Amino acid sequence: MQQNPQQKAGAWQIRLNKLKTYFSKPQNVVLLLMGIVLTITTVAPIVAIVRDTFVIHPGTIDEHLTGMSSGYSTINYVDLFTSRLAKANLWTPLLNTVLLSVLSCVISILFGGVFAFLITRTNMKFRKYLSSIFIFPYIMPQWTLAVVWQNLFNSNLITGTSNGLLASVFNITMPIWWCKGLFPSAVVLGLHYAPFAYILIGGIFRNMDANLEEAATILDTPRWKTMFRVTLPMIKPAILSTILLVFGSAMGSYPVPHYLGLATLSTKYVSLNSKYTGEASILAILMMIFGVAILLLNQISVKSRKSYTTVTGKSGQISKFNLGRSGKYIIAIILIIITFFTSIFPIVSFAFETFLPNPGDYSFLYTGDPDNLTTKWWVTNENITENGMYGQQGILYNDMIWHAYKGTIMVSVCCALTAGTIGTLIGYAVSKNRRSRWANYVNSVAFLPYLMPSIAVGVAFFILFSNKYVNLFNTYALLIIVGTVKYIPFASRSSLNSMLQLSGEIEEAAIIQDIPWTKRMTRIIIPIQKTSIISGYLLPFMTCLRELSLFILLCVQGFILSTTLDYFDEMGLYAFSSGINLILIVTILICNALVNKATGASLDKGIGG
Amino acid sequence: MKKLIAIMLVLCMALSLAACAAPAAPAAQEAPEAEGTEEAAAPAEPEVELTATQKIIKEAEGMTLEELAKKAIEESNGATFYGVGNSSRGKSALPLFIEYLQTIDPNYTMEFDWQQPKNNKIFDQLTADSLKDVGTYAMTLIQDGNQIESKMVRTGILDTFIPLDWAAANGTTPDEYEGYLPLQTLNKVFMFNNTGSKTYKNCWDFVAEGEHGLYMDIDSEIVGKNFLYMLTEDTYAAYLKAAFDALDAEKQAYFKPVIDEMAADAADLGLGADGAYALAWIKLWVESYNAQTDDGPICNTLVSKSATDQFGLLVYSKLRSVEESAGVSKNNITVAAYQDDYTGIGGYGYCHYLFVTENSPLPWTACAFIAYMTCTADGFSAWGKDMGGYSSNPKVAEEVEATYHHSQGGYEDGVNVFDCKNDRGFDWWKNDGELVIEDPEYCASVAFTVGSWIEMLTKYTEG
Repeated sequence: MQQNPQQKAGAWQIRLNKLKTYFSKPQNVVLLLMGIVLTITTVAPIVAIVRDTFVIHPGTIDEHLTGMSSGYSTINYVDLFTSRLAKANLWTPLLNTVLLSVLSCVISILFGGVFAFLITRTNMKFRKYLSSIFIFPYIMPQWTLAVVWQNLFNSNLITGTSNGLLASVFNITMPIWWCKGLFPSAVVLGLHYAPFAYILIGGIFRNMDANLEEAATILDTPRWKTMFRVTLPMIKPAILSTILLVFGSAMGSYPVPHYLGLATLSTKYVSLNSKYTGEASILAILMMIFGVAILLLNQISVKSRKSYTTVTGKSGQISKFNLGRSGKYIIAIILIIITFFTSIFPIVSFAFETFLPNPGDYSFLYTGDPDNLTTKWWVTNENITENGMYGQQGILYNDMIWHAYKGTIMVSVCCALTAGTIGTLIGYAVSKNRRSRWANYVNSVAFLPYLMPSIAVGVAFFILFSNKYVNLFNTYALLIIVGTVKYIPFASRSSLNSMLQLSGEIEEAAIIQDIPWTKRMTRIIIPIQKTSIISGYLLPFMTCLRELSLFILLCVQGFILSTTLDYFDEMGLYAFSSGINLILIVTILICNALVNKATGASLDKGIGG
Repeated sequence: MKKLIAIMLVLCMALSLAACAAPAAPAAQEAPEAEGTEEAAAPAEPEVELTATQKIIKEAEGMTLEELAKKAIEESNGATFYGVGNSSRGKSALPLFIEYLQTIDPNYTMEFDWQQPKNNKIFDQLTADSLKDVGTYAMTLIQDGNQIESKMVRTGILDTFIPLDWAAANGTTPDEYEGYLPLQTLNKVFMFNNTGSKTYKNCWDFVAEGEHGLYMDIDSEIVGKNFLYMLTEDTYAAYLKAAFDALDAEKQAYFKPVIDEMAADAADLGLGADGAYALAWIKLWVESYNAQTDDGPICNTLVSKSATDQFGLLVYSKLRSVEESAGVSKNNITVAAYQDDYTGIGGYGYCHYLFVTENSPLPWTACAFIAYMTCTADGFSAWGKDMGGYSSNPKVAEEVEATYHHSQGGYEDGVNVFDCKNDRGFDWWKNDGELVIEDPEYCASVAFTVGSWIEMLTKYTEG
């Protein structure tokens, strides 16, 4: 049956009205805009890096093998997967990367999970102190623990270098597997990411309903059975979330395996990049595929789209295990000792390094002579070539360090503001359209960059923004764009979780009163959930302050603090790198304390609230 | 979610295929022009049309420093000059250059920004910048002759400018001179910790059984790989053979099977008569060296008294900043080649080269700055005040020695306190020290023959 013109016009009018109604809801506008923007920011770099694997790069292997100086070829794939170097360039690094990621997950979950249990579900002493101190390894740049590891365990006998602290002072030498390779890399990354497990698992422990455990106790179920059949299944989503976060992060870590001598896909990317540029890009794609695969596995295992929502309900009843009169002290003391080595010792070691006459020169420790200490690394501002300063001014006068500090603060603030705002809006919009496929798409695409290894994301953006039209290498704009895309998940997840806890009636009441959207957000929604929302700003800020893998390929040293720190560490100028580390740690602690004082939000209270 | 991933993957592939259909990068298309630059010096070749920058360079090559300075003042007064380099000291040289220009025109001002990328990024940075019509960087100070040749010069990204005064000091003219313009040669030398009883009297001792020299990983500092490439060049392969011949019978017996084993590979790679000696040394070195992140940590290690019997191949100038303490001393170090009875190669010399970028926004100023650094002691002072870096201009080198007395750098109040710091100078290193000196063209020519062969070796520190 044919429609007459009047009917046609009516149908158009209905469609138009539907469209108007759709866009009259701010959450729909937000979803549409964010969906488009995030699709571009996620897909465009991937396209750029895929293209790079086919492009002929002058002066590299693809030019040599094809005899072409420009154009496109699949030779990079053929050579990487089938040449005699495939084992060294691909398979061994791939195996090492998987082992490193798995081991890092295991260590962080075991350490962080047990710690979370002890803090939240037992009557252990010194919980507040331990909770604060436990997140320190996450605050510090990850490779600084690797440098501390080297300074502690290296020895002339085993690693063929000068003696580290243990060998110098106690004449103890550790075996090579302890000093170099997979084990130390996994331990360092495991310790660095254990706060993730602590915060995610701790969040569930804190909020989980004790009625289930009590029911098991009433039914005379043994404690171990209650633990394995009731408690652990409840924290399964948190464990999976930790795996999700740690696996991708460990896989994309460049500095830790680089310093501790492990060939991974990240380190291989950097070493191959000069001569095997296209093949290096394939390695970056492989890392990305792993990121996506781990997300899929997670989705399958929890059979839910809310796999990141670790806080599922609240209960006023939380039963605490009694560790016994002496047990609560003994376990606390053991943890205090452990956290001393993971959190306090590195800081003491950084401070000490800045007073040594030469990098790694521990003469003072075995002579006790204060002449073997110096303040030159802090206060020298003249004759820098004559005073054993390696051509650098002291930290207090060093323009490069303070310029980098300003750059870091600027990038971190901008990333936190943009990622925090976008993430909050996404969380709000998705929570209002929970059943919409588009909303779920936006939510997933916002999370995807976090699962991609940092170095691969950095590579992709470098390639995308190094062309005739846009050349953003070594600009703050590039770092802010990349940081924002990478850190949106922190804010979106935190915002989504908090928005889901918020009853729709509150906003509906305001809508009935005809209160505009901006006012509803700023006067009602945000104030109610401010702690979680501020966490969504705080975490990108803290993470960005000491981010290296993401930014290492995008700017030079002296531009931001982490690349400057890495530069000094590579150069062996540990006094400068240690000084920068102290500056970073103090900055983060001050910011955390200020935000905590002003809003109640805090890092150790929750990644994502 | 699966659908989402599938859609995204399809989208990626589709867009990448679409991208593949796009025209090739302009830099690659400009390659023939670059060849023209190189060939401009050869009178027998047909005339090739010069680009705007190359015309300026050609004109600049006929000018004195003062004439160039005037052109620079005209061009860059009040502007900002961007430079990029492997050495951070370009940043120290630029203010001196501005002061020099101000002696000609007191009202002259110029802002500047000097960048020093890491991880080989300088090549990516220059390549990306070359895509613009007018680039950001006016010039560069760059190392690694192999990559310069294959990625920068053949592609037409960088142009060589030879200052008139520099050419004259070297007894040539800009037209006659072939090759890149080196600012300086830096040397990496074999040093060992002498607190134990072990000594190293022959370069083959560094690859003997159980030895693990400290060396920057050849994959992180690519110029270090060029050292290995250069060993296969006839001159240096002959040095290695001569050093082998000087070994006692017992040591020769240890190395001989490896050398014999390499003979076939040397023939396959088209190396000269002594190529097998070079490959044997390279194989033993790659399979034994203890990779470090930088020369700094190597130096920190070797000067420590706990590093007994350790040795390394590192930049000589690193010794300048070591401070004496109970556990650390420069006297814990012996420079292998300074021993009277030492035989064989003493280290490796590589250059910092100067180039004008093809799309330089300030080509005259770039030429003037390059001339200032290579033709005056003040211009070179940012590097000249340290040992182990030798100006390519003999007159400047003389002035530097007269000012800083590097040959007696270890003397304090007339007493020779730190012998390892008495730098014997470039000529000594080149002739007596048997320094292996980088040749960009040779490196580029063997990068995918000898280079691929090296990559097949299993590194001692491979994770």
